Amino acid sequence: MVDEKLTAHLAELSKLEFTDEELADMTKDMTDIIGLMDKVCGFESGAEPYTLEAADYKALREDKYEASYPSEDILRNADKVKNDSFVVPKVV
Amino acid sequence: MDLCELRKKLDGGDIGAVELTKEYLDRIKRFDGEINSYITVCEAEAIAQAEAAQQVIDKGGSKPMTGIPLSVKDNICTNGVRTTCASRMLEDHIPIYDASAVSRLKNENFVMLGKTNMDEFAMGGSSQTSYFGGPKNPYNTGYVTGGSSGGAAASVAAGLCAAALGSDTGGSVRQPSAFCGVTGLKPTYGTVSRWGLIAFASSLDQIGVCALSAADAGYVLNSICGRDCNDATTSPIPSGGYTSAVGSDISGIRIGVPKEFLDGSTDEVKAAVLEAAEYYRSLGCTVKECSLPSLEYAVSAYYLISSAEAASNLSRFDGIKYGHRSGLGEDYNELIKSSRSEGFGREVKRRIMLGNYALCSGYYDAYYNNARRIRTQIRKEYADIFSECDVILTPTAPSPAYRIGVQENDPVKMYQADICTVTVNIAGLPAISTTCGYSAEGMPIGMSLIGRAFDEKTIIAVCDRFERDHERRECVL
Repeated sequence: MVDEKLTAHLAELSKLEFTDEELADMTKDMTDIIGLMDKVCGFESGAEPYTLEAADYKALREDKYEASYPSEDILRNADKVKNDSFVVPKVV
Repeated sequence: MDLCELRKKLDGGDIGAVELTKEYLDRIKRFDGEINSYITVCEAEAIAQAEAAQQVIDKGGSKPMTGIPLSVKDNICTNGVRTTCASRMLEDHIPIYDASAVSRLKNENFVMLGKTNMDEFAMGGSSQTSYFGGPKNPYNTGYVTGGSSGGAAASVAAGLCAAALGSDTGGSVRQPSAFCGVTGLKPTYGTVSRWGLIAFASSLDQIGVCALSAADAGYVLNSICGRDCNDATTSPIPSGGYTSAVGSDISGIRIGVPKEFLDGSTDEVKAAVLEAAEYYRSLGCTVKECSLPSLEYAVSAYYLISSAEAASNLSRFDGIKYGHRSGLGEDYNELIKSSRSEGFGREVKRRIMLGNYALCSGYYDAYYNNARRIRTQIRKEYADIFSECDVILTPTAPSPAYRIGVQENDPVKMYQADICTVTVNIAGLPAISTTCGYSAEGMPIGMSLIGRAFDEKTIIAVCDRFERDHERRECVL
């Protein structure tokens, strides 16, 4: 059973915030969705949990210096930039 | 006109690359106001690319995709061209690099007409979760296109491009292709590089093709497949030659029809798929019933795995380095929360919440690990079927396209509608969808042919044979 306390906890983990009305709506949605997901709890077999097969590491790029993207290009999509850096709220 | 024929006409000078591109751009102007298949149309860039392509053609140096106008789904990064994932979060995002699939097409001087509409972050089966408003089905604009590559499929169906790149995490190329009456190819996991495909669920995502025929889909796949040092999950198995069996004799092919897929489908869908099975039998194929017993668990397992991966992949969107940045939030944590809450739509939030639920201590083993066990089991059941069959025939969706507004707001109904497609991604297999009939309402019905890993060649040939004998109905716009 999903209650608003659990929904609020998941919202915190998800870095999301909801108004009281949105929280109630999301709690209903999550109750319905997790009701569907409960199906997997009844699955019984000796199967091991699947892990994506290991990549062919021989194909990894050679470990050598290459020029990166210009920082002006990288910064172009940031909303707030100053002195060639991303701006964040004061942390300390 | 198929892509091989178009190639001949371009190379023979019967049609110019610029003239062809302008024809498509003109159709987009005339019809896409209603269909809404494109989020961004790249008119000036497309004409410049067509001019460059024509120069290559004139020098006799054309490659398969030179001068061919395609659309590209808006979750595939394109250098200098806005790539939004149909989300407010990336509304103004302009990538600084091309996805590998796009780079490969550019190396052949293709023409990119624009970026197509989709469900936000590819999460949905109707494309109605797009921040830019959903696309409409060219067969009847009161109906959904399917999703998440709804814009890609609609752009092909409406003749607004020659073919389209989409992406398929749980059916997102095949299902909209079925709804819009075109052909949708989801390659084997590892066939096409995911570099530059904005990640949803990394172990399931794969770039695919919407086209007017199986042969066209294979033709495009030939140009985008292959090893990529930027994606370690691309396969070392040699790729290409996907259309080499087109036109060959398919008698003797063993086709399995898993009964569980038909049980949940509408009578119209079931009848159309069984009629297709009879058609193949008449050609000398062996058609026999088979079983995928764990199908009943597939939707839940898929949503747990894909949402867990999405919760992780989408954690990068903080509004600071790129993406929507809120004007609210006094401190770092609050800024991230405000930006994400304003930037993501409701369905994306549901998936992130579900993913974090599945990964929470206390739920992890019962939900996430059991979903992974089911994944192992489904892969085994497919391997068992392929020990006796060459191809598997299923419906692409339990029903044809439905009216806009009917079920998009019910997440459980939407998720359950993915039952026919998700196992292919869970098992990493290739599959192709084509039209096998039309409903009483005139909407296309899709069937899927699933193949062994890296055996796209066979499903394309088997699909092509069907398409040659079953003409698709044109959309009347």
